Amino acid sequence: MEVEHNKIDRISIPHRSRGIGSWVGAVWGWLDARTGLALPLRKFFTYPVPLYVHKNVLYSLGGVSLISLALQLFSGILMTFYYDPGISSAYDSVDYITYTLPAGWLVRGVHVYNASALVILLFLHLLRTYFMGAYKKPREITWMAGVLMLLVVLGFAFTGALLPWDQSGYWATKVGMEIAGSTPLAGTWIKRILQGGSILGQATLTRFYVLHVLLLPLGILSLVILHIHQLRYHGIAPAITEKGKRDSKKFVPFFPHWMTLDAMIGTALLILLIFVSWNWRAPLEFPADPTSADFIPRPQWYFLSLYQMLKYFPGPLEPVAAILLPGALIGGLLALPFIDRSEERRPWRRPLATALAIAVISAIVVLTVLATL
Amino acid sequence: MDKHLYNLPDLESENGEWDERAHSRQGFLRLCFWSVTGLSLTAVGGGSVRFLLGHSLTAPAGEWIEVGALNELPPGQMHRVTYLLRTTDLWRKGELRGVLYAYSEDGSSYTVLSGTCTHLGCNVRWDDAQQQFACPCHLGLFSRQGEVLSGPPPKALNRLETRIENGKLLAFV
Repeated sequence: MEVEHNKIDRISIPHRSRGIGSWVGAVWGWLDARTGLALPLRKFFTYPVPLYVHKNVLYSLGGVSLISLALQLFSGILMTFYYDPGISSAYDSVDYITYTLPAGWLVRGVHVYNASALVILLFLHLLRTYFMGAYKKPREITWMAGVLMLLVVLGFAFTGALLPWDQSGYWATKVGMEIAGSTPLAGTWIKRILQGGSILGQATLTRFYVLHVLLLPLGILSLVILHIHQLRYHGIAPAITEKGKRDSKKFVPFFPHWMTLDAMIGTALLILLIFVSWNWRAPLEFPADPTSADFIPRPQWYFLSLYQMLKYFPGPLEPVAAILLPGALIGGLLALPFIDRSEERRPWRRPLATALAIAVISAIVVLTVLATL
Repeated sequence: MDKHLYNLPDLESENGEWDERAHSRQGFLRLCFWSVTGLSLTAVGGGSVRFLLGHSLTAPAGEWIEVGALNELPPGQMHRVTYLLRTTDLWRKGELRGVLYAYSEDGSSYTVLSGTCTHLGCNVRWDDAQQQFACPCHLGLFSRQGEVLSGPPPKALNRLETRIENGKLLAFV
C-alpha cells in the first residue's frame, strides 16, 4: 500500500501546475526518487491532530517552546561570531556586541530575554502536562525527557550568566559554586571539577563556555528529538473531558492547521522580544571584580526562590535548602509517572496530586516574591 | 487552486475521520502560516545579516603617520621605515606593524611606497646593488618608483600620499 502511495506522490506532484511550480516539483521528484523522503515528510505534516487538541491553545505550549528554543540556538550561534571567551576580553566583546555592533542590541537582547520566556513556556508546558495527567503510561519517557529539558535549560541559564564576565554573572556563579561546594561529602570535589581548579577564573569560563555552546545544545537537541518521536509514537494523550471526547474522532492535519497557530504565537513572541530588547538593552554590569565588596550577588529570577530558601536554613542546615529540597523536587518530577500509577487523569478526580502541585507552585511564587522585596 | 494539492491521506476508519474544516480551511491557514512565518523569517534573517556583517564592510579610516625627520632621510638613497599603526580589531585596541620605503631625488619632494607586494602581499626588499625592489615570494621586481619591471605583480607598488610638516615627512596609510 505504501509503495503505491509513494508512486502517486512522485507522479502527481510534478504535474500539478505549470511554470515555476513544475520546476520545484521536478526537483522534488528527483530528490524523492533518490532519498525516499516524500512519504515520511508527508506523513509528518499531514499527521491527524484530534479536534479537541486543535481547539485548545494550551496544546501550543510545546510547539512555542520549540520555536523559543530555536530562537535561542540561532541567536546564540550568531553571538559566537563575536564573543571571546577569555577573562580579559569576554566583557569587552559582550560590551561591543551590546552597544557598538549593528543589530547587536537585537541579537543579545533576544537571547537574554528569550531565555526567560523559554523557562516560563517550559514551566507552563510542564504544568499543563501535569494537571492533565498526560505523563502516565505509556508516556513516561516523553515526560522524563521534558523534565530533563527543563533542567538543561536551567543549566544553560546558569552557564550563560557567567559568559559576559561582568559583576552579576561572576558573583552569581561564585554563589552557585559555594552551594555546589556545600554538598555533603563530595562538595569540594564537585566545586573544583566545575570550576576547573580552586579559583573561579579562566578555566571556569572555558568550561562554562564549552558547556553552554556545545554540550548542552547537543543534549537538548537529542532530548527534543526523543520527546517529539515519543509524542508521535504514542499520539497525544486522549481527551479527559466529555466535550473533548466528542471531538476526538474528528481530525485536522498538523500542517497547516496546528502549525499556523504555533507560528502565529511564535511570531507574537518574536515581536515582543524585539520590543523589549529595543526598550531595555540587555543588562551588562561592570566588569567582574573579584576584590569588590559592594556588589550584592543576585541570581536570575528563576533561581530566586532557591536563593530565598537559603535564608531559612542557616549554617549546617544549608545543604537542606540548597541541595536536598531541589533534588527531591527534581527526583520527584522524574519519578512521577512511576509514583502515580493510577489511570485517572482528570485533575478534579486526583485531589492529592492537584493540591500538591498547587502547594509547590504557591511556595515557589511566595519565595520569589519575598526575594524581590 | 488545484484541489489535488490539499489531498489528505486516508485515516483508518476506526480512529475517526478528517473534520470538515481539515479541507475547507487549508488554503486560508496556509496563507496565514506563510504570512507569519515569512514575517518572522524576514525579521530574523534581516537582523542576522546586519549582525553578521557588523563593521566588516567599513573601510578603515586611514591615518597620517610620521615617516621621519627630513634630516634623517637624506636624498639619493632608499630608506626603509617600519611604522606602528593604531588599530581597532572589533573591540580590541592594538597596533599593526607595517613597512614602507621613502626616497627623494632632491630632499624637497619624497616618494613613499608601501612595502607590500601587489601580487600576493609579501614584503618586498630593496636591492641597493640592482637599484630595484625584489619580492622574495615569486620574484616580482619593481623599479625605484614602484613600477613593475618583471614577474607576476599586476600593478605598481602602492604610492602613499605625503606631506611635510615642521621638518618631518608624513605619509597617509
